[in-house]
Amino acid sequence: MLYINNACIAFGNEVLFSEFSMQLNKGESACITGQSGCGKSSLLNAVMGFVPLSKGTIRVGTTLLDKLTIDTIRHQIAWIPQELALPYEWVKDIIEIPFALKANRGTSFSKEQLFMHFDELGLESDLYQKRVNEISGGQRQRIMIAVAAMLEKPLIIVDEPTSALDAGSTDKVSMFFRRQTEKGAAILAVSHDMDFAKSCNQLIKL
Amino acid sequence: MGTIDITYFDLGIGLLLLAIPFFYLWKFKTGLLKATIIGTARMIVQLFLIGMYLKYLFLWDNPWINFLWVVIMVFVAGQTALVRTQIKRKILFIPITVGFLTSVIIVGLYFMGVVLKLDNIFSAQYFIPIFGILMGNMLSSNVIALNTYYSGLKREQQLYRYMLGNGATRQEAQAPFIREAIIKAFSPLIANIAVMGLVALPGTMIGQILGGSSPNIAIKYQMMIMVITFTASMLSLMITISLASRKSFDSYGKLLEVTNESKK
Repeated sequence: MLYINNACIAFGNEVLFSEFSMQLNKGESACITGQSGCGKSSLLNAVMGFVPLSKGTIRVGTTLLDKLTIDTIRHQIAWIPQELALPYEWVKDIIEIPFALKANRGTSFSKEQLFMHFDELGLESDLYQKRVNEISGGQRQRIMIAVAAMLEKPLIIVDEPTSALDAGSTDKVSMFFRRQTEKGAAILAVSHDMDFAKSCNQLIKL
Repeated sequence: MGTIDITYFDLGIGLLLLAIPFFYLWKFKTGLLKATIIGTARMIVQLFLIGMYLKYLFLWDNPWINFLWVVIMVFVAGQTALVRTQIKRKILFIPITVGFLTSVIIVGLYFMGVVLKLDNIFSAQYFIPIFGILMGNMLSSNVIALNTYYSGLKREQQLYRYMLGNGATRQEAQAPFIREAIIKAFSPLIANIAVMGLVALPGTMIGQILGGSSPNIAIKYQMMIMVITFTASMLSLMITISLASRKSFDSYGKLLEVTNESKK
């Protein structure tokens, strides 16, 4: 599903990492760990086309990432950036953002399915009706994970999914991701949380 | 015609009224007194100069000279927008010039040719003031909208990238920011339209009544002025944003450095 070959990211003269390769198959999860500033988030941003590779290639499925294919690649991805804070007042508005996009119109939004995911992730369904400033960072992370799963994309990319979660909630997220991989999704995550990282099929140190 | 002239002496007496706002600007140490005095002096000089060249424009009443005046105004407005938005020349100048020129020609000529049915649509009496009022309104709404659009994109990068990263087209990802820009730029105008004639009597109407027109004619002109300024402002903004956006993002949809200050 995802092939990164001999990748190097550098900002000016500062090389974050080089000669990085990995392969992620359908139905697999991988977690990239490493010290702060080593380029983990930059790697995810490179897969999203927001950070250019200095060297190497990225392929999603059979499509090689470049400026002509980036839109096709993004259509195959559900993405949750780190500490996602969107300028909306209501939780329901944030949840519905990706479902209004043309690329996702084939995926119908259903509250039943959302609340089922909420339940699996340890969330109450009444969060849907709340204001964004009434929910915690951990709840927001899990809500976005539920939304990403509902998009039914073949590749989920998530940056620090458990940074605001306690051990019990982290376990629920790990279990939730496992169920998504069993359904065929590939998941690429970045995390400092070793308990979460060990629950993935691949643990990659950058 | 039916308007009483103001002598220069009387104009000076009228300007004495400014002592009241000047006093309060000074008393409360607003720091605005100097800028206000300079601004007032500039206004007086500029309006005298405009009075002189408008006199000759009306005297010559030549379509080519009139059109040249519009082109110069478009370039001056484009330059003013660059200064007031701090957006790089290579990104904004051509889009805003094309936006202004296209909108002013389409909307202005529609009004003069289709609505007023003028025999000579380039007649200076109509051409100059109508194009002038369109330019002024387009400039102020475009500056507000462009500032809102680009500052929103910079401030809410996460929203923009979240949408792109989850499959949005460039237009879809830019839409929330265009929406904000339209709301901010046009809300005052829409509010103004709603209370027109009740809370405030608009300038065009006052000018016509003072000039001797009947109120019946004045209100119809006022309605049309509101319609054409609203339409031209919106049209020019859409053209400007659409053209400027092509130069504001890289091939991957990432926002480039658009303002001069971000160079530092």
